[in-house]
Amino acid sequence: MAAAKEILLRRPVAATIRLTVPAGGARPAPPVGPALGQYRLNLMAFCKDFNARTQKYKPDTPMAVTITAFKDNSFEFTVKSPSVSWYVKKAAGVDKGSTRPGHLTVTTLSVRHVYEIAKVKQTDPFCQYMPLESICKSIIGTANSMGIKIVQDLE
Amino acid sequence: MLARNFIKHFPCKNLSRHHILRDSVRPLIFFTSSTPQSSFSISASLSTSSSSSSSSSCFTDESFAAPYLSVRINCPKHVLDPFSDALLCFGASSVAVDEDIEEDNEDAASGSSLASKEICIESIFPVHEEVKMCISQAANSIGLKEIPKFKVEMGDEQDWITKNQDLFQPVEIADRLWIVPEWTSPPVPEAVNIILNPGFAFGTGEHPTTKLCLLLLQSLIKGGEAFLDYGTGSGILAIAALKFGAASSVGVDIDPLAIKSASHNAALNNIPLEKLELHLAPSENSSSGRETPLQKEQFDVVIANILLNPVMELADHIISFAKPGATIGISGILSEQLPNVKERYSPFLENISIATIGDWVCMSGTKKGEFIDNC
Repeated sequence: MAAAKEILLRRPVAATIRLTVPAGGARPAPPVGPALGQYRLNLMAFCKDFNARTQKYKPDTPMAVTITAFKDNSFEFTVKSPSVSWYVKKAAGVDKGSTRPGHLTVTTLSVRHVYEIAKVKQTDPFCQYMPLESICKSIIGTANSMGIKIVQDLE
Repeated sequence: MLARNFIKHFPCKNLSRHHILRDSVRPLIFFTSSTPQSSFSISASLSTSSSSSSSSSCFTDESFAAPYLSVRINCPKHVLDPFSDALLCFGASSVAVDEDIEEDNEDAASGSSLASKEICIESIFPVHEEVKMCISQAANSIGLKEIPKFKVEMGDEQDWITKNQDLFQPVEIADRLWIVPEWTSPPVPEAVNIILNPGFAFGTGEHPTTKLCLLLLQSLIKGGEAFLDYGTGSGILAIAALKFGAASSVGVDIDPLAIKSASHNAALNNIPLEKLELHLAPSENSSSGRETPLQKEQFDVVIANILLNPVMELADHIISFAKPGATIGISGILSEQLPNVKERYSPFLENISIATIGDWVCMSGTKKGEFIDNC
């Protein structure tokens, strides 16, 4: 473990925080407040920075943010587009997935939806070099785990 | 941007067809929540009074002091990443992992042989969320065989508010210009000291954009100007302008908390009401349009330190308040966003100059017009 820490020797990391924040809508209230406040991170600096960098997204789109908090109370963060399950739920028009995925299907989506979601996800920093087909398979997997079936065409 | 276009055009034609299915799922959720509470405990530790300075209490608004649930979950190390993502999908507001290995394992009910393979996640949930349901759904979705052990506590809202205020230290913007928190005495009493309690409004002087705007103001204000601070936040720029010698300042913001903070700060700096006017601008949602009781072409210096989108949308509006020949400063924008802003404002501004600190820029120029003000 000590060796791993030496690799990150720029600054020692205190914690990694993940949260969902609406694009352009970060405010120092819960959940941002307590989550960052615990590690003494400058809330207003994060809010201003995050809001400025998410101006190009439709307001209130829930963005997935990963914050690396360093021991000296400084921080860095990366912003990703909403999670696949958010897109899937929005496409299907449901709030929550199934309570018994695999057994109970809440709703269905068409292959075309999967393709549209994959195209958006491909713009994420992570997925840029992944073939569209792999992204689609991963989306189908997530949808199935939420109890949402993918069909060829919606009747 | 691809993502934005995609979201706008997403058809929700499935909505009506699946309403029936959705309602039939609901009863299941309620059923499972009534299981015996043997596997988790809720200890509510609400802190009622605040031991911190009394001034902090006048800024505790309902939304900031909202209760939340703080949940500690013991998660197997090898599934940390997918499990964190799954938690966020199924209802958690945030998920945090400490880098230090927790030595203190008295909370873990499992035997110590497993302790080294588990990691502790601190998660925040909205107060009405079904924590057990979310955790079990998250665990199922990544194929965990059993639900991780967890403990729920009521979040201590005063704790993070106090920690946040403690961060604010005196800041030296330039030689003999300091921003000092209300609860600290100025390090250099002879300097121009602006006393602030920003509450939850933006503007402590620490952010690069605030610094850029303060430096711009310092170079522009010679004495007797009328200044407009569009997006005033804590009021820091409006107050600074008066301290530099402006005749009057007006601060506008869409957030009522900002107006409250700014008027509190005006009092802290002994600024009479005639010198600093504050107006609450209607936000985009109100239908009455942007009517503020301000006259056009009234100000010698106008600064708008907001964000890219408002600055673009309100360009005509902001410029209309400036006299011809007045200086307008725009900030709160990143250097990559500058070309758009420049394009938007160049029909109206000449002598455009850019100041940069890090990724942030401040663009300033003088308003084109027939009568150039020579003072």
